[in-house]
Amino acid sequence: MIIDCDIHQSSPTKDEWLIYLEEPYRTEVAQYGLRRIGSGIRFEEGGMRWDTRPPGGGAPGSDPTFMAEDLFDRYGHRFAVLSGNNGPIAGIPDPDYVAAICRALNDHSVAVWLPADERVRATIKIPLQDPQLAVREIDRLADHPGMVAVSFFATANRIAFGERYYWPIYEACQRHNLPLHVHPSTTAGIANAASTPAGMAQTYLESHICMPQFYMAQLVSLIINGTFEQFPGLRFMFVEGGVSWLPHLLWRMDAEYKGLRQQAPYLKRLPSDYIKDHIRLTTQPIEEPKKVQHLLQIFDMIDGDEVLMYASDYPHWDFDEPTKLPRKLGESSLRRILHDNACDFLNLPQPETAVAA
Amino acid sequence: MSWTFAARLEEVPPGPAHIVELAGKEIGLFCVGDEYFAVLNHCPHAGAPVCRGRVTGMVTASGPGQLSYDHSRLVLRCPWHHWEFDLRSGEALSFIRARIKTYPVRVQDDELWIDL
Repeated sequence: MIIDCDIHQSSPTKDEWLIYLEEPYRTEVAQYGLRRIGSGIRFEEGGMRWDTRPPGGGAPGSDPTFMAEDLFDRYGHRFAVLSGNNGPIAGIPDPDYVAAICRALNDHSVAVWLPADERVRATIKIPLQDPQLAVREIDRLADHPGMVAVSFFATANRIAFGERYYWPIYEACQRHNLPLHVHPSTTAGIANAASTPAGMAQTYLESHICMPQFYMAQLVSLIINGTFEQFPGLRFMFVEGGVSWLPHLLWRMDAEYKGLRQQAPYLKRLPSDYIKDHIRLTTQPIEEPKKVQHLLQIFDMIDGDEVLMYASDYPHWDFDEPTKLPRKLGESSLRRILHDNACDFLNLPQPETAVAA
Repeated sequence: MSWTFAARLEEVPPGPAHIVELAGKEIGLFCVGDEYFAVLNHCPHAGAPVCRGRVTGMVTASGPGQLSYDHSRLVLRCPWHHWEFDLRSGEALSFIRARIKTYPVRVQDDELWIDL
């Protein structure tokens, strides 16, 4: 039994998708295509797994039937969460345009992907460029049973997660009991002025290695600025941002808080104590130390049994099979990471218990 | 040594591998230029069907800022995580011990034989 927290449907072809886009953007996109910003790096060298192109044609992730066979049936997925493609919205400056694109992408998910397979769930795309418009989109779709989270970007925000700018969005998420699904975006370069905290990455290799640094900074911003005291029901899942950095960050936050508590006097717990109630990390791409024992030690340091949730990132190049998790974790931990933690966190239906004969 | 008939040459055109099953093993047969290669269809990293990947040349560099492309080196890249292996030796290009399993090949008339 698997719950997969990160799968990607590809941007649909224009013909399939433009009908969901409002004017004047429908005419604009029909004429010029989607607005794009890029980091000037060659990310296509990563891109997609080369064996995921549907046999009937089209891009990897464009055919729900093939994805169901190639992923859900093969590994035993109960549910899988669509992350979509963030390129058309992350970091693009114009809020009205981005809000329209988000509505169209969401309506396409509702019309095409959710009905295609009962195992599919979706995340609500929102324009981070305007929190009021974002709230409107959350309110429009939050009650749809297929929507299990609100989409957020770790790497293309301009403004750190702990800033009050986001409070209207957080209030809406808390009110609807929807977690924020935080994913990287290939648009990181322009949207943040720099694609790593040190400056511009020259290659996708450099950029991709540095992704977790954004997640680290976002987590510090959230906890230290008191976000979870303001919104006690607010929850984040950090997707594709790595795992093994968490012990360092928790230890450092706690150590420094002890001397500098005056700068965060609203906190009511040690910084590390906010994790279990508010934060989950997804496993993919799981770090690959030379000794698997080292990974098990890291899992132990962060209470991986409670904090981690499986993701495959299908059909992307850094895909993890469920079997990528070390067998040595043991059956109970594996079950929690592969299924139970996400089932609880995303409020998905619990599996029916077998009826005794 | 166990030389085994693998395929007729016309079944192994240039391009994607022709995959056969021999002695219970899936083996990918490649034709590149006038050379033939046989590779076990299993990536040592995550067990992916490595022969469904791509054969490319090799990006090389004598130092930072000194990049080039060696078309004579043949590199098989796994379809999943894009790891690189030398198609002739089976060795990984990334300074690790992992390697793909390659088999000696022999062309006999219009047939391809491999040494399992």
